[in-house]
Amino acid sequence: MSIQLSGVRVRLGENDVLRNVSLDLDARTGAVIGENGSGKSTFARLLGGLISRTEGTVRVLGLDPGTQARQLRRRTAFLFSNPDAQIVMPTVAEDVAFSLRGSGFGPDELKDRVNTTLNRFGLAALAEHSSHDLSGGQKQLLALSGSFVRCPELVIADEPTAFLDARNARHVADHLFRDTGHRLVLVTHDLTLAQRCDTAVLFADGRIRTVGAPGTVVAEYERMLEC
Amino acid sequence: MLSLYLPGDGVLHRMPPGPKILTLLALVLGVSLLPAAWWAACAAAAMCVIAYAVAGLGDGAVGMRQFGRQVFAIRWIAGLTIVGQLIFLGPEPAVANTARVCAAIIIAALLVLTTRVTTLLDTLERALRPLEFVRLDPQRAALLLTVTITTVPVLAGLARQVREAQRARGSSGGLRTFAVPFLVMALKHADELGDALAARGVG
Ligand SMILES: Nc1ncnc2c1ncn2[C@@H]1O[C@H](COP(=O)(O)OP(=O)(O)O)[C@@H](O)[C@H]1O
Ligand SMILES: [Mg+2]
Repeated sequence: MSIQLSGVRVRLGENDVLRNVSLDLDARTGAVIGENGSGKSTFARLLGGLISRTEGTVRVLGLDPGTQARQLRRRTAFLFSNPDAQIVMPTVAEDVAFSLRGSGFGPDELKDRVNTTLNRFGLAALAEHSSHDLSGGQKQLLALSGSFVRCPELVIADEPTAFLDARNARHVADHLFRDTGHRLVLVTHDLTLAQRCDTAVLFADGRIRTVGAPGTVVAEYERMLEC
Repeated sequence: MLSLYLPGDGVLHRMPPGPKILTLLALVLGVSLLPAAWWAACAAAAMCVIAYAVAGLGDGAVGMRQFGRQVFAIRWIAGLTIVGQLIFLGPEPAVANTARVCAAIIIAALLVLTTRVTTLLDTLERALRPLEFVRLDPQRAALLLTVTITTVPVLAGLARQVREAQRARGSSGGLRTFAVPFLVMALKHADELGDALAARGVG
């Protein structure tokens, strides 16, 4: 029910970036692994409604990201590697509040939600701080706050720890995995993180090569890298 | 260049955003319409100083510390404008024109210094609503203006990165060697930001 693709092809420019992708994913947390250029980001962006399929059918939370992108985005959050690109407002609290624009909350309720979220991600003391002057780890936590303040049902994260050091990467991952009733699709090169998921998908050359238990899929990926 | 919000409770901070925008707009127009004469340059400078003094910025120096920061921030614009005009127009118009341009920017900066971006966004959205009938989406337009303002520090950061990378490679850095990587990074940022805005449910 959560994510279903059948016979999906995505063409970008001159290339078929995804080819004949079919998948039925209903785990709470799913890892997406594969080499650079194998189509992981394209898959993630497809799920988030940021690009549309050329062929086939896609259902995310029962919605078609191609035609119901707005409704879908209201229920999903997307996290990128580069936190700088995700920060819009000049101060931390304003940036989190920005995610709630147009959601119809009154000023008190809005403030409440922002504060609760900032507390949860350990940013409460930085609420009035300039968001562009945060450290890389803090920026990614701010991006997480901006995502989670909307209580998404599905979080799609495209290598969210790629720019972080080990400690911050772990910190961000812990937040992503903490069960707050959301599902998680995690694109990652960190195979330890992939092992923490309930299921894993291996992409190779624009196709899905294997889906299954993370242990098995990661082992296959490592075999693939050896030859 | 565009400085960020400065928390405070001075006259401008307390003024509702609509009238504040109109007042500052009138001042900017006022200095822009001054003639190209020595006395006009003095008048433009005086208007800036007075505007910062009465704004109540609470910087412990009657607004003059902030005023100094703004002047420093636009030193390149000032330099370029005055050099170009000295060559073609002579001293009096050059000084007067430069003073007018700088005064306009410095007075406009008072808006960003004393208004939260969120407030600015709300106000712009409301102000632009009548334009809906010419098929302009006020939400999008306000967001575009706001993102433009808030992107300035990011672009400044990118420019610094490019310069540092060039210095690290021992290049003195001509305009071309700066412009190409800078444009690539800026466009990449624009692309990512567009995605991020869409993903955050706006835009
Ligand atoms: N906008 C685009 N236009 C054309 N080709 C693209 C575009 N975006 C990505 N590609 C190509 O699609 C392939 C897969 O890219 P991507 O999904 O980003 O892979 P991954 O995230 O696994 O590294 C790459 O070969 C890339 O060059
Ligand atoms: Mg990628």
